[in-house]
Amino acid sequence: MKAFLATFWMGSKFLWRNPVSVAILICFPIVIILVLGSALSAYITPETDLEPAAVAAAADPGGLLGTFLQNDEVSRFLDVTFTDREEAERLASNEEVVAAIVEENGEVSVIRPGVGGLYTQLTMSLIDSYKQIGSAAVIAAMSGKNVYDILGKDVSVKDIPLGTRIPGSIDYYAVTMLVMILLYTGMNGLDLFNKGLLSDTGRRMLTTSASKPALIGGMFAAASVTSFLQGMVTFAFTGLVYGVYWGERIPLVLLTLFAIVLFSQALCIFLTMAIRHNGAVMGISQALFWTMTFVSKGYAKVSFGEMDKVFQYAPNSMAHTVIFGAIFGGNEAKMTSNLIILYALCLVLLMLAFVSGRRRVA
Amino acid sequence: MIVSMTGIVKRYNAHTALDNLDLTVNEGEALGLLGPNGAGKTTAIRVLTGLTTADSGEVKLFGSEMRGTAAAIKKKIGLVPQDLALYETLSARDNLNYFGRLYGVTGATLKDRVAEALDVLGLSDVAGKAPKKFSGGMKRRLNIGCAIIHKPELLILDEPTVGIDPQSRNHILDFVELMNKQGTTVLYTSHYMEEVERVCSRVLIMDAGRVIAGGSVEELTRSTLIEETVSVEVRDPAPSLKESISKVQGVLRCEGEGRTLLVTSKADSQNLARILECATPYVILGVEAHRPTLEDAFLTLTGKKLRDGNET
Ligand SMILES: Nc1ncnc2c1ncn2[C@@H]1O[C@H](COP(=O)(O)OP(=O)(O)OP(=O)(O)O)[C@@H](O)[C@H]1O
Ligand SMILES: [Mg+2]
Repeated sequence: MKAFLATFWMGSKFLWRNPVSVAILICFPIVIILVLGSALSAYITPETDLEPAAVAAAADPGGLLGTFLQNDEVSRFLDVTFTDREEAERLASNEEVVAAIVEENGEVSVIRPGVGGLYTQLTMSLIDSYKQIGSAAVIAAMSGKNVYDILGKDVSVKDIPLGTRIPGSIDYYAVTMLVMILLYTGMNGLDLFNKGLLSDTGRRMLTTSASKPALIGGMFAAASVTSFLQGMVTFAFTGLVYGVYWGERIPLVLLTLFAIVLFSQALCIFLTMAIRHNGAVMGISQALFWTMTFVSKGYAKVSFGEMDKVFQYAPNSMAHTVIFGAIFGGNEAKMTSNLIILYALCLVLLMLAFVSGRRRVA
Repeated sequence: MIVSMTGIVKRYNAHTALDNLDLTVNEGEALGLLGPNGAGKTTAIRVLTGLTTADSGEVKLFGSEMRGTAAAIKKKIGLVPQDLALYETLSARDNLNYFGRLYGVTGATLKDRVAEALDVLGLSDVAGKAPKKFSGGMKRRLNIGCAIIHKPELLILDEPTVGIDPQSRNHILDFVELMNKQGTTVLYTSHYMEEVERVCSRVLIMDAGRVIAGGSVEELTRSTLIEETVSVEVRDPAPSLKESISKVQGVLRCEGEGRTLLVTSKADSQNLARILECATPYVILGVEAHRPTLEDAFLTLTGKKLRDGNET
């Protein structure tokens, strides 16, 4: 226990003193959120330099989507013309609009002209935030309808406290950003294991009277807690400075964020034990993080068609679902199962790490 | 006996790093382990400290085998590894605290021991600084410090003075001598004869994974050398002096012009008194015995220089 605590303190100190990790995990997200926030938050900067871009919408102006597209926040970016589907498609293919939004049988999709630029991405992000409950819930509340009507049976009915402020795209981005940051915190664990356990220093640690589980456990705990606290800086920052709405079930949100941290550390510890080559572990874990963020649409709103059904089980996607659900009211059963899967995944990875650690020694 | 290694074999693939190594360390002694690069010194220490397991042979520490009771035994050992093993971004004090705690030292004892180590190793002024800003000598000293907070009964130092300035080296040697005087058993590996001669009471010479000779510095040099020389300086020697010295038992040659004669004898002839007897009719200005060094003994035993040419 003494050795565990000593290693925990040492590791925490080591990580907080590591300028790269602190820069990546604290400064970088704050800068990104500052930039995104200025573009997306209507509450900090009421005026914006952006000119609204022309968008065609094949939707009922009086419907939920229509209401959403005409609300104050969205109309600062998009100058929406309501039309029929054919006309919207024609405008998009002629590049007369940056995107065409089509609502058909309750499905909302975005048609982009060619590759599309910043405004096209922005349109897709806004529609995404609409689909991802956040803004939809607001619109539902504004139009006096029920979230259930918009999103179907996956969502339970929940009152959103709209008294003080209206959730918007920034709320959506804060979640995406935080989950992405926390997914990358496995780098903390990697760094600690490399400069600690796998180095000459680590060999020295193994000659002391401390037990190996105490040393490994101490480092794992240090990396997890430090990473979580670093994520909390972003959490508090978005909440306090941007007034991002994190909902009323903060413990559930934090539990989910912690699951992502644990998952990331467990993955890195497993790779480290199995491969034992710093460069390779670094490369593989980075690639995995990148892929997970990509398939769960953390970088750009790309549709993968049928594969999306598989990709919703990417750990970060599962975390998204739970967090959005916790904030805006989602399917409780799905949230619970996602959370259980996440923690189980961590356990499996840790066990695999343990097994490969043993195999190496034997 | 504090350490006993018997018939240790350690192979790395086809390469045999330890080839039937026998090694013992007695309580209270300072044992020097001398050997050229690749002799297997570090490997022997790794087997001893449990970092790697031998393919065959038996290791006993403090009378029992390493397994099972490992933690209790490990507490009695302090290892100063050949390669620096520190947290470079944490302060010197943090490093000492951490390794002390790993051995179970806590509270006021820890605080006192850390302060004591900083003081004796001359690091008090930089206690709050991170080793990445240290000179090579300071890092080496901290590397030693991390092994002594728990007051080990056996201190193992694997080339603790590599690549540092003479002042730091002196500091370290003084320190090791002090520890040994205070009762710590020392196992010291080095490429440097003069360090081993100064610090160690007994020396083992290793080559190609086995111990090839052992004993006190004097025993080693005496037993391995074939010849020893003495130079005798007298005022106005007669030519007959050379002849009479040549006849002394054990003398092989007596050379020299003028007042200095160089007398070469078989090793261990113990004939200095008789040589001087021949010279008593003259005024003896000086006598100098050229004592064979460990370096000579090493060269004779292994046919190798102790250090690679490019190292100094
Ligand atoms: N992990 C390893 N894998 C393969 N070979 C090794 C390994 N460690 C040591 N060896 C080999 O074993 C032999 C003994 O090495 P060792 O490090 O014990 O020598 P040493 O006496 O400490 O040398 P030096 O004075 O250079 O430190 C060398 O030939 C070395 O190449
Ligand atoms: Mg060595």
